[in-house]
Amino acid sequence: MAKRRVFTVMVAAAWAVLLAGSSASAHHSFAAEWDATKCRDFTGTLRKLDWQNPHPYFYVDVKDEKGKVENWSFQAYSPVTLRRNGTDRQVFLDNINKEVWIRGCLSKTGKTNAAAAGTLKFADGVLRQVGQIQD
Amino acid sequence: MRRVIVGAVASLLCAAFASIAVRAQTSSAPPNQKPKYEITVMPPGGPAPRLPDGHPDFSGHWFPNGAGQGVSGRYGVDPAAIRQFDPKVTPEERPAFQQWALEKIKSMTPTELELSKSSVNCMPRGVPAIWLQNPYTTYILHKPGVMAQMYEVLNNWRLIHLDGRPLPKDPEPFFHGNSAARWDGDTLIVDSIGYDERTYIQPNGWFHSDQLHVTERYTRPSMNYLIVEITVNDPKVLQKPWKSAPRRWTLGNGEIYEFYCTNNKELEELEKLRQQELKGK
Repeated sequence: MAKRRVFTVMVAAAWAVLLAGSSASAHHSFAAEWDATKCRDFTGTLRKLDWQNPHPYFYVDVKDEKGKVENWSFQAYSPVTLRRNGTDRQVFLDNINKEVWIRGCLSKTGKTNAAAAGTLKFADGVLRQVGQIQD
Repeated sequence: MRRVIVGAVASLLCAAFASIAVRAQTSSAPPNQKPKYEITVMPPGGPAPRLPDGHPDFSGHWFPNGAGQGVSGRYGVDPAAIRQFDPKVTPEERPAFQQWALEKIKSMTPTELELSKSSVNCMPRGVPAIWLQNPYTTYILHKPGVMAQMYEVLNNWRLIHLDGRPLPKDPEPFFHGNSAARWDGDTLIVDSIGYDERTYIQPNGWFHSDQLHVTERYTRPSMNYLIVEITVNDPKVLQKPWKSAPRRWTLGNGEIYEFYCTNNKELEELEKLRQQELKGK
């Protein structure tokens, strides 16, 4: 009986934290679609930008260890958020065909060459947060 | 069986605390830098402006934080400037759900929960969610007879008439409800009923019934602060009315941007995940 009570309290506590927590978090859940256990660094050349709502995507040619180049897509915060934190459309456009470093996480569905960007650095070396940071 | 239950509870607790860790991480400075707050809480400013009829004027471009500017994805932001209220000072009670409602919420898979969110499915957030969970700004134009609220997110808008009109007897269901407003001193009280049942009170599965009655209380204690307090009365879903903490919005400058949500690629991926979850059930 006591064990059942402990179990009930644990479940209630977990739900309370989740319900209370989600009310405070901004926007939607990263964890629903992206895998925080599969984050890595990418270095490549920025090739293209799709500046759109609710999320812009930018495309980067990433070279692997064997020298093979693959084009990756990266999802970012919304355009409004990026504008307000100083990484607006023009910043991306000014860096087309230039090197970029990105820390991002892979899709949970295993979608090929797709990631959510957390932070990035363009050639100016400024660390920019362009999506939710997971690690 | 017990192992499965313990595992499920452990997963739930991990998810709960992981969500806290993620939020803490995203709001802090980079790990190798000492916190240095370049963005801090706005001062209250002078007295609130007033309309020709003597009531407070709520006009302004309002940011859902204490900073009067965007705070997401920025370093050097004082945590006190990120939040809308300090739970230590004005704690916010948790909603007391009816048992059936809690069961319904708990039965949602993580992906179903995600797909129910306005930020994902691009449906209007609705009232009161627009005041409770909205990282984007609201532009208010206030005249003696009407208050126009322009929500940046999804380019939604709403008019609140201040001419004393009553609530309708058989309201048409609207995302923003049907409103009637009155003044109590310097507080504007807006009662709304008749809601489209596709909206959520908060993006955590908190749905509502056709009995939803929302009360918004607006005050402008000073030039830079707008306080919005929400009461949710929904006897089919809640055991008792729920009252929010007083949420602070701060006056900012800059543009309110276009935000038509028309191309959410996440939906395809989330639908794949939902199908995977359903197979696993």
